[in-house]
Amino acid sequence: MTEVIEPMPAAPAIPAPGVPIIELRQLAVEYGAGDRSVRAVDGVDLAVHAGEVVGLAGESGCGKSTVANAIMQILRPPARIAGGSILFRGEDLVDKGREELRRYRWRNVAMVFQSAMSSLNPVMRVGDQFVDMMRAHEPVSRNAALARAEELLGVVGIDRRRVRAFPHELSGGMRQRVIIAMALALEPQLLIMDEPTTALDVVVQREILQQVQDLQREFGFAILFITHDLSLLIEFADRIAIMYAGEIVETAPSARLQASPRHPYTRGLMESFPPLTGPLRRLVGIPGAPPDLSAVPPGCRFHPRCPLCVPEQPVMFARQTTERPVLRELEPGHFVACHAAGAST
Amino acid sequence: MSEAALEVRHLEKRFAADARFVGRRSYVHAVDDVSFMLRPGTITALVGESGSGKSTVARLLARLYAPTAGSVIYRGKDVARDKSRRSVLRYRSQVQMIFQDPFGSLNPVKTIRHHLERPLRIHGIVERDEVEDRVHELLRTVGLVPPGHVADKYPHELSGGQRQRVAIARTLAVEPVVLLADEPTSMLDVSIRIGILNLMLKLKEERDIAFLYVTHDLASARYLADDILVMYAGQIVEQGPIEQVLADPLHPYTKLLLSAAADPEAGVETKRIEVRKGLASAAVDPPDGCRFVGRCPLAIDVCSRVTPALVEAHPGQAARCHVTAPASAGIAAVPSTS
Amino acid sequence: MSQLLPTPIDLPQAVELAPLGVRVDRRRRRFVPGWLRLLLGNPKGRIGILMIVGMVVLGLIAPLLASRSSAVDFSLLDARQAPSWHHLFGTTDQGVDVFAQVVWGARRSLLLGAAAGALATVIATILGVFAAYVGGIVDDLVNLVTNVFFVIPTIPLLIDITAFLHTRGMLVMILVIAATLWAFEARILRAQALTLKNRDFIAASRVAGESTRRIVFGELMPNMVSRIAAAFVLVFYVAILVDAGLEFLGLGAMDKPSWGVALYWATVNSSMLQGEWWSFVFPGLAIGVTVLALTLILAGIDEVSNPRLRATRVRRHLARRALGRAV
Repeated sequence: MTEVIEPMPAAPAIPAPGVPIIELRQLAVEYGAGDRSVRAVDGVDLAVHAGEVVGLAGESGCGKSTVANAIMQILRPPARIAGGSILFRGEDLVDKGREELRRYRWRNVAMVFQSAMSSLNPVMRVGDQFVDMMRAHEPVSRNAALARAEELLGVVGIDRRRVRAFPHELSGGMRQRVIIAMALALEPQLLIMDEPTTALDVVVQREILQQVQDLQREFGFAILFITHDLSLLIEFADRIAIMYAGEIVETAPSARLQASPRHPYTRGLMESFPPLTGPLRRLVGIPGAPPDLSAVPPGCRFHPRCPLCVPEQPVMFARQTTERPVLRELEPGHFVACHAAGAST
Repeated sequence: MSEAALEVRHLEKRFAADARFVGRRSYVHAVDDVSFMLRPGTITALVGESGSGKSTVARLLARLYAPTAGSVIYRGKDVARDKSRRSVLRYRSQVQMIFQDPFGSLNPVKTIRHHLERPLRIHGIVERDEVEDRVHELLRTVGLVPPGHVADKYPHELSGGQRQRVAIARTLAVEPVVLLADEPTSMLDVSIRIGILNLMLKLKEERDIAFLYVTHDLASARYLADDILVMYAGQIVEQGPIEQVLADPLHPYTKLLLSAAADPEAGVETKRIEVRKGLASAAVDPPDGCRFVGRCPLAIDVCSRVTPALVEAHPGQAARCHVTAPASAGIAAVPSTS
Repeated sequence: MSQLLPTPIDLPQAVELAPLGVRVDRRRRRFVPGWLRLLLGNPKGRIGILMIVGMVVLGLIAPLLASRSSAVDFSLLDARQAPSWHHLFGTTDQGVDVFAQVVWGARRSLLLGAAAGALATVIATILGVFAAYVGGIVDDLVNLVTNVFFVIPTIPLLIDITAFLHTRGMLVMILVIAATLWAFEARILRAQALTLKNRDFIAASRVAGESTRRIVFGELMPNMVSRIAAAFVLVFYVAILVDAGLEFLGLGAMDKPSWGVALYWATVNSSMLQGEWWSFVFPGLAIGVTVLALTLILAGIDEVSNPRLRATRVRRHLARRALGRAV
């Protein structure tokens, strides 16, 4: 571990100072080439600082998983980085060679995939998979690696003796814990979690998230948590970025985002989760469906579904349908990409 | 209390857990002693975790599985064991099901028109020359316009939300009395889920349909449903009016579910839950006793020996718990099996 | 029963059930234009159909192109001639005209392949798909029978039967080839049917009230058209090769011209070593062209039976945009 990081306060209004662990600058990722290329991620700015839990929320196909894969440098053709840069502690990953990237992955940034539960090799004992993974990165002995594996299993709340278990002998939740333990094996500075608990039951999901939170407070790594479940993020993340159709449309500290979402898409998303307590009213959600990325609407990508985009206000309407909004800082730490957001409060 | 549109009593479904031909076979008790009724114009939520047997209940009611024991009472008659084609067809013309995965529940090589036309023709709902009009009407009901255009499409040309609307339209083709919805929104994008839930609310109000809403999501159950059934390891552990149950849950499992659910209104202050390890899925040859006993913070001696009965501890609200709903506290909500 | 009446929407599917033009029976003739139009609209399907039609025509007009005797009878005076105007494809060591062998052979080879393929496919489809859908003891039984047939080797069985029956007729060959190869197809089709039957759209059809027969033939099978067609092509191909193999063993009907016989002679005469390329290249080409044509048709069927591949990008695109606001 390079530095000791104090646990973050619940919700810092301003991102921690200093050089971020990961910073995306105008990142663009395309699938395919030429006329048929589709921009899955288009001009994304995002920074994750040490010890911070950043949530990235959006619907399927909005590009959130592509962002994660780009940070991990595991994009495969036809996907490719079409523009912008990914900085790890200020250094652009684009300049790195293959061997350097291989070492960067897992050691600096580790990832828990959406399908993580099935990413364990079914015919290998859990411990051996730890050993393989660790020895790919460090010259450690088999016994030392196994000892570390036991220790890590203990850390994520699994009986140490389970190093000898085969994946099918573990429940879904336990397999997910094993994957998290593997991700933490090399003490990465950033852990990316891409829908890590979607396939799990609510109770197990909650248990695992609590555990991850405890580990994060203890070891001080940063987390980029990707999910479609905004209500989960509000509880779990310090800061949330909302993605829509390949762009980040709003980012703010969780408490702020929950108290006063400014982008109409964020508001719509909030309107899509019925409350478990308090008064009930008929929710409206968001009309329409997310755009096909091969034919994004001109101007603001959200405008065909936006309640603030009405022809009755011709000046604003013209702007919304032709000019692409950029992220503006409405309040400290609260950025919104919306032409109408500043005007209405 | 109005007349039941559909009622099940002591429903039971076991699946063979091994393929042994000699000796005693073991069985997974997927559904065990489940009784409830669905009433017209009422949405009943069936909540549980995966493997709890909630989808099996829906499929039993849809007659996709045959129950091992128990009765399904429809129009005063037990239809569970009547397998004649006529009786099955009549049942299917009244009880319909919406499946979880709209990507799997439509035949990829058939047009949307085919999907809506078939039930109309099978059950002879309308005259042949009116079929096309009815197809259009159904598509309009679920908000798919222009209907003529949509009808010619193949499933892959529609989004998930649109497909789920087609699936709902298909169930409406027969003018059903009962609709079984098996996690109809869990495969959909968040922003379009509410639209499907609102459509179900509209159908309940306008057509007086009795809904069974199977879900693992308590918040959407609260949004939609009037009554709730909480399932754990194949049994109903708590039932009652949903607001009452969520405000004051009797069963410790209901409490656990409630505390594990994310709630946007609750704010950023993370709530901690204490959990003991255990599985919500139905067990192979479960022993007597409460199935939640291994995880239960309230467990007492009797819990691991005697299977608790559903007891109406509060008016309208029943639970299967020796501690919070002891048999002395109220009357058995349903007569016990034996 | 009203649900069993044919409806307009059934047209494409009734047609799709017949994987290849060769097999369309008379009852469905009135539907032929629909599927043929669909297949002809597909470039691969169109080329494949033209090629196979060409082959069939070649076989049909064989008497006009060459005398049958020149395809069978030895004529040592004309032996070992390279292709020329007299002998378009040259002649063999025995003086048999290779062109005559190819055109007359088309009759036997195409008929054998098509008949064996059709028979094996029908058995495999009915047993494999139906058993998989019905499940339980029916499936267990069919599976057992399939596995027994699966291990019966074609050529030894044919050798036994021809030795036993003292007949080398085509009918026997068709029956034996179909009987030994259907099991292979049935296993493939059963596997696919098993995955399809657990899809929710099948459950949804049951809930809608469809009968078992309609679910199997109307909902399940249209999803398997390309697999069924592929199985047919495979047996067709194997039948031609088995024919050649039997000739090679001297068990075939040597007096009847076929591509297999032609290849047999080419091998026996070691034509390759002697530089007489024409005696194996042309019959081999005939087999190759036929299989290529079938493969092209197969690719065409694959595309037109799958609406996802059928739809053009543009259409899909416009549809999405038009529907964007509907939901």
